Amino acid sequence: MYNGGVPRPSVLLESWTELVEYFRTQMRTDPDMASAVAAIRTLLEFLRRDKGETILGLRESLKWATDCLTRVDSSVAVSSGGELFLRFISLTSLEHQDLARCKKVMEERGELFLEKISLSRTKVAKLCHTFIKDGAKILTHSYSRVVLRVLEKAAAEKKRFTVYVTESQPDTAGRQMAEALRRLGVPVTVVLDAAVGYVLEKVDLVIVGAEGVVESGGIINKIGTYQMAVCSKAHNKPFYVVAESFKFVRLYPLNQQDVPDRFKYKADTLNNVSELSKEHPVIDYTPPSLITLLFTDLGVLTPSAVSDELIKLYL
Amino acid sequence: MLVEDKKQTEQKKYFRTQMRTDPDMASAVAAIRTLLEFLRRDKGETILGLRESLKWATDCLTRVDSSVAVSSGGELFLRFISLTSLEHQDLARCKKVMEERGELFLEKISLSRTKVAKLCHTFIKDGAKILTHSYSRVVLRVLEKAAAEKKRFTVYVTESQPDTAGRQMAEALRRLGVPVTVVLDAAVGYVLEKVDLVIVGAEGVVESGGIINKIGTYQMAVCSKAHNKPFYVVAESFKFVRLYPLNQQDVPDRFKYKADTLNNVSELSKEHPVIDYTPPSLITLLFTDLGVLTPSAVSDELIKLYL
Repeated sequence: MYNGGVPRPSVLLESWTELVEYFRTQMRTDPDMASAVAAIRTLLEFLRRDKGETILGLRESLKWATDCLTRVDSSVAVSSGGELFLRFISLTSLEHQDLARCKKVMEERGELFLEKISLSRTKVAKLCHTFIKDGAKILTHSYSRVVLRVLEKAAAEKKRFTVYVTESQPDTAGRQMAEALRRLGVPVTVVLDAAVGYVLEKVDLVIVGAEGVVESGGIINKIGTYQMAVCSKAHNKPFYVVAESFKFVRLYPLNQQDVPDRFKYKADTLNNVSELSKEHPVIDYTPPSLITLLFTDLGVLTPSAVSDELIKLYL
Repeated sequence: MLVEDKKQTEQKKYFRTQMRTDPDMASAVAAIRTLLEFLRRDKGETILGLRESLKWATDCLTRVDSSVAVSSGGELFLRFISLTSLEHQDLARCKKVMEERGELFLEKISLSRTKVAKLCHTFIKDGAKILTHSYSRVVLRVLEKAAAEKKRFTVYVTESQPDTAGRQMAEALRRLGVPVTVVLDAAVGYVLEKVDLVIVGAEGVVESGGIINKIGTYQMAVCSKAHNKPFYVVAESFKFVRLYPLNQQDVPDRFKYKADTLNNVSELSKEHPVIDYTPPSLITLLFTDLGVLTPSAVSDELIKLYL
């Protein structure tokens, strides 16, 4: 029985471990999958196994499940992806007499949603690769699977380009990106985070991924993105962002401090460390004035158009 | 030539000993001591020969330590000691005059850091939050002076890869009792909202009024400009160098990489450069022992030095 929408403790613990286990398995089987996609698969499975008696209870438990997942993986996309999933499956007539039939409708919509977002990276790549001209020098930041997909597509179209990747401390994810690009046969150079200003003279364009896209059209991404954007503006180089639409999130930060702490640090840090001010934040916020274009599966958008698209998604 | 090799090794040894005995000394000061000693021991027969061998000695030293200051310091030393009447009949007397001027020069520059600190610490207000880059002994001296004047301030230092020199700076500041936070190089834009001013050292000051400093300084300057925070540079006057780069590529390779890298590696394009150039438009003020200068005033001062 649900008690004001909050499941009983024993039910909680059991399903929590199951949930986390399923999520982790998903991430392990396909390392190329976005963590948000893995989260949505988990939520869909949770929906299927749920034994609730009311629609309201179902929604409550799905919200609780999303909350659990954000405590495992604190990235913005998991949070926004979960919310969009919930809205999408509820965005239909749930006026059936039978609870089982309602659930079935929700499951079908859930599967539809999952299918759509699995194709989103390919759509983004198709839109973006045309902006990479032959002989271009590209600068990118840290490891982004979307950017990797875009560059794969450009390479498949037989374009010749070179890439500079920032090393991206503290986890040196940039080296992983460089490895992946070398396997594609793309000439790549790893540069220090401090060398972004130095290298920007030489590059033609900058492409970065995004962990979340906010209402103003700005983005939340790995730390170092903001200063890359400022320097690109100073050098008048186009600053492109590639992101899937499930990363659109209902936030409106005005500066770096406005981004909630739950996104700024990794989940482990949030759970274990008490003095957050001593930790290095892992993300920063880039305002829309520094972004040239955003490539999403909803189309190529200017930052000002993002809020319109966001409204359409969340309505 | 064997004699030359011997002299070179002797010189390098002296230079290294100087650096070891006083780790707080600027490498350029150590280089100038070495040149002075070289002058004393030199057995040349002509003034012209003396100048040539001093130039050769400076060249050797830049191959040990490729920082801009060693190169500019050496050149200024040579000009300063020759900037006098050398019309004596006796070579020994000329040499003596040169040695005296050399010692005078050395004395002046040993005091330069203190002069800079005296000028700069007044710009640090009580309760200020300062951002600095990597390890700079001049900035450290300025902050020491400000702390001695009982000012309360906090410092953010960038870690400064690839040698993480920023941590050394943080350690030194902790010993002074200054609250310090080490931030990632990538976090400069993130942290600039919170700071009041930015102070950096310089490895070299160029003719345009721009500076050459550890890599990461340029993007710190761009971000400071974007946030409208004052960007101060502290440098001694022997760092003024006769270069006029227009962009990052114009800085000569011999300054961009450490001496070991230049000697051992053939493909320089694969190496990480250790310095970058910051144009004068991004710098608010330069604090030197010649006074507090705007970037445009630097070229005038430089001309006076090198004339």
